[in-house]
Amino acid sequence: MTVHEWLSDLRTSALVGTARRDAPPPPPVPGLRPRVQHAGREERLLELAALGDVLVRAGRRPAHQDAPLPTAPEETVPAAGDRASQLLTLLLLQPPMGKALRDELVVEWLTRAAQHPVHVPSPLLVPLLDLAAARPEVARALFPAAGERGRWLTGLNPAWAGLASATGSPPRDEELAAAWTTLPIREATEELGRLRAHDPAAARDLLSQTWDSLAARERRAHLGVLRVGLGPADEPLLELGLDDSAKSVRDEAASLLDLVPSSARATRMAARLRPLITRHGTLRRSLRVEVPDEPDPMAIRDGLAPPPRSGEPDRLGWLRTIVRGAPLTVWTELADGPPERAVAQLRDEPGVLQLIRQVVLLRRDATWAAALLEVEHDDALVTLLPPAEREQRILTAIETGTATEKLARLHAAVSGLPRPWGDVFAHRVLALLAGNDGGKAVHQLAPLLPSALPPGVLPAARAAIERLEPGDRRRDVLARVVQYHSFRHTLTEAFR
Amino acid sequence: MAPVKRWTEEQVVAAAPDASSLTAARRLANPGPWADLGANDVLVWGRCQGSGKTPYQVSVDVLAPAYRCSCPSRKFPCKHALALLMLWSRGPDVVPEGEAADHAKEWAAQRAERTAQQQSRTLERAARPIDPEAQARRLAERVALMDDGLADFRLWLTDVVRAGLAAARNQPYSWWDTTAARLVDAQLPGLADQVRTMGSTVHSRSDWADHLLAGLGRWWLVTCAWRARETLDPDTEADLRVALGWSQPSAAVRERESIAGPWRVLGAHRTDDGRLQQQRTWLRGTAGPAEAEMLQVLDFAAYGEALATPQLPGTVVDADLARYPGRSPRRATFVSDVHPVAENPKLPSGTTITSAVAAAAAALAGSPWRDRHPAVLADVRVDADGWAVRDADGAVLGLVDDAPVWHALAVTGGAPADVFGEIEDGRFRPLTVALGGQVLAL
Repeated sequence: MTVHEWLSDLRTSALVGTARRDAPPPPPVPGLRPRVQHAGREERLLELAALGDVLVRAGRRPAHQDAPLPTAPEETVPAAGDRASQLLTLLLLQPPMGKALRDELVVEWLTRAAQHPVHVPSPLLVPLLDLAAARPEVARALFPAAGERGRWLTGLNPAWAGLASATGSPPRDEELAAAWTTLPIREATEELGRLRAHDPAAARDLLSQTWDSLAARERRAHLGVLRVGLGPADEPLLELGLDDSAKSVRDEAASLLDLVPSSARATRMAARLRPLITRHGTLRRSLRVEVPDEPDPMAIRDGLAPPPRSGEPDRLGWLRTIVRGAPLTVWTELADGPPERAVAQLRDEPGVLQLIRQVVLLRRDATWAAALLEVEHDDALVTLLPPAEREQRILTAIETGTATEKLARLHAAVSGLPRPWGDVFAHRVLALLAGNDGGKAVHQLAPLLPSALPPGVLPAARAAIERLEPGDRRRDVLARVVQYHSFRHTLTEAFR
Repeated sequence: MAPVKRWTEEQVVAAAPDASSLTAARRLANPGPWADLGANDVLVWGRCQGSGKTPYQVSVDVLAPAYRCSCPSRKFPCKHALALLMLWSRGPDVVPEGEAADHAKEWAAQRAERTAQQQSRTLERAARPIDPEAQARRLAERVALMDDGLADFRLWLTDVVRAGLAAARNQPYSWWDTTAARLVDAQLPGLADQVRTMGSTVHSRSDWADHLLAGLGRWWLVTCAWRARETLDPDTEADLRVALGWSQPSAAVRERESIAGPWRVLGAHRTDDGRLQQQRTWLRGTAGPAEAEMLQVLDFAAYGEALATPQLPGTVVDADLARYPGRSPRRATFVSDVHPVAENPKLPSGTTITSAVAAAAAALAGSPWRDRHPAVLADVRVDADGWAVRDADGAVLGLVDDAPVWHALAVTGGAPADVFGEIEDGRFRPLTVALGGQVLAL
């Protein structure tokens, strides 16, 4: 009888209880001379349990294993210096600012480290990878700064899986091509999207090569991926999409081609649009737009709805499709002047101007946006302008009204504005905030301010802190701005 | 006295009573609300603008450590004191060295006075003749109480095995709790804790039958040892007292012969079960007979209170230690101020897993109730798949569930390294790793 057999015998007695089953005699261990006590069954079992406990614990022997263990590859760049490491420690373990700003600074740290190039010191990898697993924007900046060690770790811990591919290093094309067609539709779309962001041509080629073997649902979902980095080179595949058997694929192809004004389809749409535009007025300075007649088969292929079997056709719908697909140059060409002139000549066609506005927003055309804004202020169009012009327009828009109204309008306008703001704009906003009614808006603007106010306004911010009463919330908000900048400054110095 | 190094952020974080204080402190840890910040070798001070009109006056004695703040918070230390320490830890650019502010000086003076009063009272008490009869009577009363409690416990144990373990597992938690409460009444809190824990682990462990059987055996052994306590040597008796939860009065320990440092800090571990926080710090002497022995310093704090400042592994600290009676690894307590004096970027030489496990087994012969043994393992690699460490011979030692495996892999990259830790119930808890001329806490 081995000790293990004896133990299992003892366990059986213990489980059912000594009332029903007596404990076995002591185990046959050489050299072990248990003192037999003249006690009852219970006492004997308890004594043997004590013996068994010590035997098990004292008898533990380590197992042996010689299967190879993974080892991290050598780092290819040096580790970050002491000062930089200290700053990252602070950001990860004791961030002196809110989470959004912390993430932003961690991303900045990683970006600077990658440029330098240095890698994250290994004791900080666990908190960094944990953060990256929760924050996609940190995940995107993770490599190469997290180094070979970081990449190696993401492969070992399931909680960090996917972090290595979240950044600009998708699997090699051949690997993806081999595995891609076997993926479920959603993952396949995601993978293709990653590849597209990194290498648009490779993603297009992969889709073209597999196009014929894909189901309609897949063709539709994957085609949408081309929206990122869309260009003339995608045209042949999109033309193929126009001939697709599935309506959803044809519609997607058409809406993508709407975004490529240099395409052959856009030229065909231009040819359909030109005859609809006529000159009117005594000075012939007004443009009118007619609705089109029934489309021919080629136009239906380009996305115009086929005429209904009965009832009135949606002629306005055809016009919409044509305007959306045609290049904006049709309008300047017929107005014989810049976009401003075309807009002015279309003043009697408000519906058409609305359509043009949609096209301008879709194609993000800054010149046309400026032209349309001459007629009427429009927050959405303002976002297409270069930052300096946007700021100028916002300042103009908030020139009138009470301070409270100005601040409310300001808050609505600045959320999408690229940060940091220009000096002039930032000074104006700071003046409003530090002014009489500024306290009301500071709450909404506070999260933006640290990264929005450029270093140039820091002296003014410091002066404002001095002026404000102690206990005023704006002091804290502005102090945080100053602190954020001094941290960023330290960060820049640390990577010098 | 060596100049005080500013605390690291980890030390500040460790001083926080709870997570919410820490979060609140982080919000305050920017220069905005602060004025008159300063520090000298002992004190850090500043004024923090809170919601009220008058700023709070905050002072911290970083040596003791002791905290004072004029805010009404009952957290200790409060968010203001923590925020002040965070700022201080960022360096003299943020909190400059200087002449102490008046409120800080005043507080330091008050504390010095109070300490002096306490000392004189202690001296008075020491001067008063102890009544040996009363002392002996109190001891006899306690022993009688424990005697009864343990006799009662023996009966309970025999009842359990008569009815069988399967029946015990079917008992509600209150059944275990009642037994534990009786043990507490009999001044046997150590046993009571074990019984309570068993009441939940019988439902959580798949090997519950073996675990319960071993527990019953160990408790039985405790009661037998108690009955034979007249025959035990002092060290075994001391270990028995630990198992029962009969603490050694710390005043008596402090009176024992103290040993001068310096001491190498090998590693530390913190636990928090929601009611009690515990901190174990493993130390080893740097020369003479103290070099052969590992000691553990235990600190406790109730929920919401701050634990003593942790000592950093890889440093050498100067302090006097008094050891508790008992077998190795013995418990010890600091009887003087603790000053970091040097860095020691190496661990003591390590052993193979096989000999570390054998040493832990051998220690059982002397102290069957003790189940935690410190060890330095030489050249071990971490295996995340097997949740284990493996040495150069291929010997494998499993890791405890909460082992910092990813951190260990991050710093070692899977390469062999010397690791200090605790072998606990047959599994290893890595605490410190020595690598490339650095000692890192895990």
